[in-house]
Amino acid sequence: MGIDNSTNVVLGNLRYKSSQDQGVFVNVPLEQNVKEIIEFDRNVDLNLETVFDDERQESTIFRPVCKYSLIFKNEYTGSTTYTPFKNNLYYTNGINNAISMITLPNTPWDGNPQYFEFDFVRTDNNVPGYTSPPNNHINFVNKSASTYNWSHYITYPFDNDYLKPLYAIDPETSASWSWSAMDGIPFYVLEGTDLNGDYIKFKCPMEHGLTEDEFVELSFPYGTETIFQVTSLGTPGYNSELYIFGITNIGYTGTTFQTGAIGTFKRIVNSSNPTETRSEYYVRRHKVLTDSECSIIVKAGFDQTNFSSKSKFEKAVLTPNGIDRSSIKEGNQSYSLSFNCDVDIKPLLDNQKRPISELFFTTLWKGFFGWTKKLKQGFDFNLPLVNSLPNLWWDQTNFLSNFPITQSQYFSNTLPPVGPFSYNDNLNVGDIIDGDFCEWNDFFQTERVVSRMNHKFIYNDTYFNIPTDAPAQNQFGYYYKPHNSIRLREYSDYIEEAPATGVVNVPDYAFFSNLSNSFRWRDLYPYGYIDTSGIGVDYPFLNGKHYPYKNIVFRLFPEGIGVQNINEIVDPTIDECE
Amino acid sequence: MSVNKIKILLSETDKYVEVPVEMKWDFTGRDDSIEEYQKKMVKEILGIANDFETSRFSHNSFINEKTDINYEFYFYDNALPITATTVTSANWDITYQNEGFTPSDIYYFVKPFTKSFFKLDFYDTPEDKSQTNYFTIILPVQQGDFESASITPLLPPVDIRKPKFSLDYIGDKEGFFIYWLRERDFIDLSEFYMSAKFFNGRTGVFNVMTNTPQPNITPNKFNFLSSEYFYYKINLDYTTKTYEALSTSTNVRDGDQVTPIKWYEYINP
Repeated sequence: MGIDNSTNVVLGNLRYKSSQDQGVFVNVPLEQNVKEIIEFDRNVDLNLETVFDDERQESTIFRPVCKYSLIFKNEYTGSTTYTPFKNNLYYTNGINNAISMITLPNTPWDGNPQYFEFDFVRTDNNVPGYTSPPNNHINFVNKSASTYNWSHYITYPFDNDYLKPLYAIDPETSASWSWSAMDGIPFYVLEGTDLNGDYIKFKCPMEHGLTEDEFVELSFPYGTETIFQVTSLGTPGYNSELYIFGITNIGYTGTTFQTGAIGTFKRIVNSSNPTETRSEYYVRRHKVLTDSECSIIVKAGFDQTNFSSKSKFEKAVLTPNGIDRSSIKEGNQSYSLSFNCDVDIKPLLDNQKRPISELFFTTLWKGFFGWTKKLKQGFDFNLPLVNSLPNLWWDQTNFLSNFPITQSQYFSNTLPPVGPFSYNDNLNVGDIIDGDFCEWNDFFQTERVVSRMNHKFIYNDTYFNIPTDAPAQNQFGYYYKPHNSIRLREYSDYIEEAPATGVVNVPDYAFFSNLSNSFRWRDLYPYGYIDTSGIGVDYPFLNGKHYPYKNIVFRLFPEGIGVQNINEIVDPTIDECE
Repeated sequence: MSVNKIKILLSETDKYVEVPVEMKWDFTGRDDSIEEYQKKMVKEILGIANDFETSRFSHNSFINEKTDINYEFYFYDNALPITATTVTSANWDITYQNEGFTPSDIYYFVKPFTKSFFKLDFYDTPEDKSQTNYFTIILPVQQGDFESASITPLLPPVDIRKPKFSLDYIGDKEGFFIYWLRERDFIDLSEFYMSAKFFNGRTGVFNVMTNTPQPNITPNKFNFLSSEYFYYKINLDYTTKTYEALSTSTNVRDGDQVTPIKWYEYINP
């Protein structure tokens, strides 16, 4: 080693007068552009299970399949004078109608539209005067047998509508709310300060999703305070804890919390960090991934629902056209729905901008035969009758409840032609429709469906009139839930947390908490993994594609009847012996 | 300049200094590349999963929006020896009775009748020596149109099945759809050649069928080009998931009610 004599190292305090000793550092950059290599032969153990799993985890292509069990009660009887409809009813008053017809040839006939009008696949392709000449309603095209009544799509929630206008009315008190989705969940004060109780109780027209010790931020202040702790849930009534919450009445005065006051609230988990733990509320927006031509719906073999079909023989003398036939009121066939096109989820993000974890089978009423009016949409909280009549939300004049779909019209093949008859057009790939009303909490990274989306259709009273007390523009009808979820994979039931720096592989959808100065997210479980809580998915993987499947009970409800949820029987646990 | 005591003397032979360079390192990335290559090789050895999923191909609609595909199967009545010069196409008829089934057998669905079926085989080429049968469609005798027949003189005539099929999305649909590979990267075929056979459950024999009545076959009803008379051509459209049936001789579309797909029992001499 040589020494450069021109360089002098001088002690700090010797440099100049009053100078002091000081530490001197030399920065040595640790730049490495080499690494050790493996010196030996490479050996790879190949394992079929590992290879299968690798392929499975890499694949992003799905072929969803479901079995649809259509459960429908053909509830509403009505009357019609339009000949093709009249000749094809399930008659309920045949004797009287036949007698009336002797003196009044154009007498309306009473009955139910047959089950064909609601079935997933129509099979009445050869009914003279209705689906085949002469003087028929339409010329039946066999290819369209499965698309005359309903159309099926795969959709996914890709965005949120925070400004969606919503409306609810309490059937008991007639308290009503008009609010935007982002405002949260509506309530009215059930027991206010005027009753001098220990608690102020609030009742909601939908499940509030609160637990005790959480907080609510009300839409109106008491003084300057808007955040209150939930200290009680429910009343002695069954399930009331889901709809009623209370705060301790510490002696509030004034009329803020008077019985009957209405407002909206947002859930807050931690009052010391309201910004991050406040829930947000929105309506999911679904994007259509497949067109109607892509769907294939066929009878699911011999599978039928638990309910028996109902049919009867119509004697010629008790029919308007004097022809013997059988008529079907209700059927019980199950169907299998699959799609001719694949769904690649790789480029798709869900409404929280996370990798997509569920798709939806979306089924829409088409009503090609023209028995019904335009399709309306609303939520579970719009369903209860008010004063035994349909909720105002469903009124045909309420544009807020219109389902955004174009309608087409046609005239019948009868002489003279009758019409126009309207039906809903098909959706196209990329179309956007509304989904469920949901709550999202950043801190917990969870989404809750507050209220499910429903569609409703009513009969076109020009051609089929049902005698009820309801006004024609807001008649009783049938409703159904158009979106049925199918899980593709699951997010973990735990929350991962990582400091702001120094951690790799933090997913881009992680939420950054300023309070804890950390990222928070839920892991996405791999395919085939089911945790101890039973969360996870494990469905067939073959052909390099995923084949998720689901059994769906598709219910078509007559409005106003008591709705009971169907408890599906869970598959038995498979133990090691099996 | 500093010096040392080493002297280098002139020598007639070259001197070498061996410098051992033990390389245990490499430029970053090369090792990763080897790993990538290893993965690639493993994939190549194991093979990539092929997609054997099938799609449903339905019969393409005609101009009048009808989608039904119509088959008619004609059986020889054996009234004359097939070698007779007086045999004409009128000796073939659409009835199972020519196959030895009585109206009673057909009406009561006796087992030899219900065990009978039509077998449509789909090949990649009409050349017998090089063709491969890719799939088969079975048409059961329980489907089809009706003819009137008497099973006893004591009762009025009844309707019995006859081998005339009109298959569609609803009604008789067994054999209407073709289920074939969705992706074309494994087997890329969009043109098939369909042949027909009838399995007679009474005799246990397969009867081959031609697309032309045997007397009309040229040059000779027993010696002819099999590729021309034993097949109909089936074209698949992968975009619309539909198929069409064409005559092998005229390349004109068949299968509607006016020009059904006709099959005639072939009788060996």
